Amino acid sequence: MTQALPLLVRERSPAHRGLQAAGFVVLAGLAIFASTSNPFQLGQLTIALLYATAIAGLNLATGYTGQLSIGHSAFFGLGAYTTGVLVASHNWNPLVTLIPAAVFCFATGLVVGLPSLRIRGINLALVTLALGVAFPELIDRFPGLTGGQVGLNINVFQLLPPHWTGISVAGRFQYYYWLSAGLLAIVLVLCATLTRSRAGLAMRATRDRETAAAAMGVNLAWTKMVVFGLSGAITGVAGSIFAIYLGSLSADASFTLTLSITLITGLVIGGVSTTLGPVIGGLAVYFVPYWTENIRQGEASELIFGVVLIVLMFVMPEGLMGLIIRLSRRILRIEPQPPARPGHRPGAVTPAPFDGGPTTVIHHDEEPNPA
Amino acid sequence: MQFFLDRLFDGISNGAIYAALALALVMVYRATGTINFAQGEMALFTTYLAWGLTTKGVPVALCLLVAAAAGFALGAASERVLVRPIEKHSLLATLIVLLGLFSVLNASDGLIWGKGNQSMPSLFPNTLQSYVSVLGARLYWANIGVWLLVAAVVALMFGLFNGTRLGLQMRATANNRESAALAGIPVGRILMLGWGISAAIGAIAGVLFTPLTPDSLGLGEMFPLLIYASAAALFGGLDSPGGAVIGGLLLGVAEVMLSAYVPAIGGQLQEAIAFVAIVAVLLIRPQGLFGTREVERV
Repeated sequence: MTQALPLLVRERSPAHRGLQAAGFVVLAGLAIFASTSNPFQLGQLTIALLYATAIAGLNLATGYTGQLSIGHSAFFGLGAYTTGVLVASHNWNPLVTLIPAAVFCFATGLVVGLPSLRIRGINLALVTLALGVAFPELIDRFPGLTGGQVGLNINVFQLLPPHWTGISVAGRFQYYYWLSAGLLAIVLVLCATLTRSRAGLAMRATRDRETAAAAMGVNLAWTKMVVFGLSGAITGVAGSIFAIYLGSLSADASFTLTLSITLITGLVIGGVSTTLGPVIGGLAVYFVPYWTENIRQGEASELIFGVVLIVLMFVMPEGLMGLIIRLSRRILRIEPQPPARPGHRPGAVTPAPFDGGPTTVIHHDEEPNPA
Repeated sequence: MQFFLDRLFDGISNGAIYAALALALVMVYRATGTINFAQGEMALFTTYLAWGLTTKGVPVALCLLVAAAAGFALGAASERVLVRPIEKHSLLATLIVLLGLFSVLNASDGLIWGKGNQSMPSLFPNTLQSYVSVLGARLYWANIGVWLLVAAVVALMFGLFNGTRLGLQMRATANNRESAALAGIPVGRILMLGWGISAAIGAIAGVLFTPLTPDSLGLGEMFPLLIYASAAALFGGLDSPGGAVIGGLLLGVAEVMLSAYVPAIGGQLQEAIAFVAIVAVLLIRPQGLFGTREVERV
């Protein structure tokens, strides 16, 4: 091996910024390229991107904070039904309903996060499972509000693109696609910022060793509850746009445990605790079953899907994004910026101080750059 | 009284099955520290196998034994081939592999034995006349048979855990894998054995439960059962076999009683209510009723 590889790039240096910008351009280019698909494919992409957004929300709780949730289908459904009921029964503007949906799911997330203060690990997973099981039953129990087992239908005219977008009725799939792509972009930036901040450090510390985190001054109760609330809110807003796109809701069809399992699967396939893993995961859990269904119908497709799942985990237990990060580190490594100290000239040639240790830890499970 | 007893008998039968499956889940949890999401599908696969044999004229008792043996092989093989290589990576990766196994088994059932629902013949006399009267209520032989067989399985397990050298090795492995290995226990073989026994118990539960309702052998039969069994195991304490059995029985009886006496929540909300009750218990005792409290060395 020559000394040339891996290339070292200092964090927040012009070169690093350039790489990040290039990554954004590539992603934006991909999004624009995908938008030229036909309406049917646009519809598929819309759902896949909404799954990706929901998985990004799940990633905050399960990936970064270590609270395994098998109940996120309930948040997705709660967001969808909030939008559905407000639009169908109260004539709200669909886009405005995203706000109450987010607030409602955040509050529910706080309440569900409450048991996590005492209950941990796989036990907590089973508590969130309770949420996932209860949600469709609750929807069916209140048919006056939710339409019950019959389902909830929104008048299609209420869901058309608003005038200011200049999109015609025929081009409405473009509208739904960009709506979900825009939401995903916002959520990814939000998650990336959050997880690289001090709060993100507190989340990881909570995940990796609670006792040590508490000893370092992390407020465990606050961290766990707020993260679960935020996680639920993000997944819920994805559900809201799902309702806007689909126009008809049925809890027994769309928001059962199967969805929770799909989201978890996507998270692990894409890469737990990575920024872009949820995007890969969302696309994978939507399109892989679709393709296996094309190869063989019915049970055989389920069989292939199961085998694919097992093989994927054996080949890359850290997920696709985790694998990409690991491999790309051989070529390019981002050097963390040593923490700024009063009296030190930035970039001065001094050995990194020992107390820079925890700061370097942040970057170990992050991608070096989005490209 | 008669109405109450009828419900009680049904509840105990369901509860016995939940208890058996919960016991299976606990055994896997103690061995590997994870919930086996494929537990229900393993049981379904072996139940289909037993049903397939009965259609060829094999006596049901023999089918039960074959199913249990097949379950043992399936469980042990899953542990060795699928779980052990992946469990060192992460809990999440293990869960996904088990979900993959779930899909594979469920799909195989459909491919081998078809999609339509089937009726499974019972091990016990199972006509409308085969009952004894208890205070006017009908206690069917099929129910008594289920109770006795599950009780026998549970007794056998407790005998194994507490009365044999093998059971001691299993408990040591569950308690601390490294120390057990250092003490000369063949940990790998013990883990395989734990998974194998667990799947065999699941197979017995499946073969006993399915004949209780006509036309109930279908691809979706076991998933709700797995959910109830997980709830029961959680309620009793995930690492406590006794807790699993008690949790299963309580849940079975509570479920039937709720739908019989509280129509407002029965039927549509009974699963939700069962879960809410269990979460409430966990808030007071996070380790479940009989589980071991988690202690961390700092």
